[in-house]
Amino acid sequence: MPAVASPVTRPMAKLRPGPAAAYGVLAALALFALGPFTWVLLAAFDPDANIFVQAPRTLSLENFQNAFTDAGGLGLIVNSLIYAGGATLILVVVTTLGGYALSRYDFRGRRTFMLSILLVRVIPPTATIVPLFVLSKDLGFVDTYHGVILVLASLNVPLGLWIMKGFFDTVPIDIEEAAWVDGANRLQTAFRIVLPLAGPGVAAGALIGFIGAWGEFLVPLVLISDPDKMPISIGLFRAWLNYTNVDWGLLAALSIIYMVPAVAFYVVARRALQSSLAGGLAGQ
Amino acid sequence: MRRIQSWREGLTVAAFLAPALALIGLFTVAPGIWAVVQSFTDRALVGRNAANVQFIGLDNYAQLAGDPDFSASLVRTVVFVLLSAIVGQTILGFLTAYLLATRPRWRLRFSPLFAAIFLLPLAVPEAVAALAWASIANGTEQGFLNRMTGAFGAEPVQWLQEHAMATIIVVNIWRGIPFAMVLFSAALEGISREVLEMSLVDGATAWQQFRRIILGILRPQILLFLMLTTITTFGIFGLVYFLTRGGPGDATTLIGIYIYLQGFKFFEIGFGSAAATVMLVILLTLGVYYVRLMREQA
Repeated sequence: MPAVASPVTRPMAKLRPGPAAAYGVLAALALFALGPFTWVLLAAFDPDANIFVQAPRTLSLENFQNAFTDAGGLGLIVNSLIYAGGATLILVVVTTLGGYALSRYDFRGRRTFMLSILLVRVIPPTATIVPLFVLSKDLGFVDTYHGVILVLASLNVPLGLWIMKGFFDTVPIDIEEAAWVDGANRLQTAFRIVLPLAGPGVAAGALIGFIGAWGEFLVPLVLISDPDKMPISIGLFRAWLNYTNVDWGLLAALSIIYMVPAVAFYVVARRALQSSLAGGLAGQ
Repeated sequence: MRRIQSWREGLTVAAFLAPALALIGLFTVAPGIWAVVQSFTDRALVGRNAANVQFIGLDNYAQLAGDPDFSASLVRTVVFVLLSAIVGQTILGFLTAYLLATRPRWRLRFSPLFAAIFLLPLAVPEAVAALAWASIANGTEQGFLNRMTGAFGAEPVQWLQEHAMATIIVVNIWRGIPFAMVLFSAALEGISREVLEMSLVDGATAWQQFRRIILGILRPQILLFLMLTTITTFGIFGLVYFLTRGGPGDATTLIGIYIYLQGFKFFEIGFGSAAATVMLVILLTLGVYYVRLMREQA
């Protein structure tokens, strides 16, 4: 762009608030972000951990070993995997189907429909938790894996539909139409041609669904009272309430085990999450 | 995309959408409607009023209006949203996004590293975030926070007892900064470099550029974030309940915790449903505004 004068020729030193100050602010905020994890990190590797922050005299993986061998610890991990895995599977299936239909077909009121789904998203489980409990009890869902899985899956359906529709929108319909001409029917093209192309989108939707179900606190708190069926989130909470009779090292190790998949998936799905939070939701 | 042309196509679309709609309908919409209906009854979770439910008109709402605990929890929630979400998260989230963004004559090293660190508070599950804060806010001398303040000669403080509200506000700012940062970073990336270059060429100071140009361009995104964070913060439960269970006393009983306690501690389904209905009305009103914002930005 030759019309724009090169800005480099002007003395601009006075414009800078100074990167040093910026680094200072960022460092302070980084300490704020990381500081609260101090105890969790130190205690997890400390065989003599307690609730206080202390430098471990020896570092060991004993606590992690215990978390996996201790019946309580392992049970929590397995339960969380069942809930989050099941909810993710259901979420992916229903939002892939729904997202495809919303992306490929137009019908009267489709736009209003999309916006209503968005509106449903603003209703938090907090507002509906009491009826949700009564309903789950009537359906025999309380203290069952399948019931909790269905409820957890439902929480992310509105967001999932929007994400999936957005991804299917990026797969040009021409490809499908060419396949129809070749004699494939609509369902065949959807599965054989569109789904593989929208694969990354489906994966992103799955990650987001997993993160949501994996971290959920209120729903399992209300729907599960059987200690054998509790996920990690409730296990941590109950241990914290117990306070006096707690293996703090094991608890810290369990927290690390619990946060690692969430953080890892978050990093992988960040782009999709970002666009779904910001522009992606704007769709049409 | 094409219009549905036959009833068979219509049926296909309906079948594709049915499972998703069934889940939303059964577990979100129906409980929402049920809450509104029950708010006009004296239903209880257990005991005589569990089986023998009577419609009592607006009695629950009259009782709610006269309940100082309810109005107090509502006011507390507004203060919490205002200080933690609208002020804290927005300002600090914008600040981090702004400092980390690359623009003409501004590029910091280690930006990706900082961004990764800042994401952590949001990436960890709610229960870990709460447990982490619970541990460092420990009221004894050996608590992490007390050691930090103790280094400056301060006495140990029972953070979750003496300053419960302030502590949960700080915790929620901490957890919400990443969300604001992610949204604002995406928005800042979208500003054309030419516009920024030109403003500098025209002799604008960095402050003028920030105020007149960047804030102007980002106004829709800032508004959108304010709506989103207000809505999500209003319905907060796990983070606060884990840390304080609404206490000490009812010092941190936000509206979400109030509803939970009515239902599961006092078993007052009808009365609790009236409180839930108030929350639903507030959130759906905000939600309609949010949907309108989204539609305009489409």
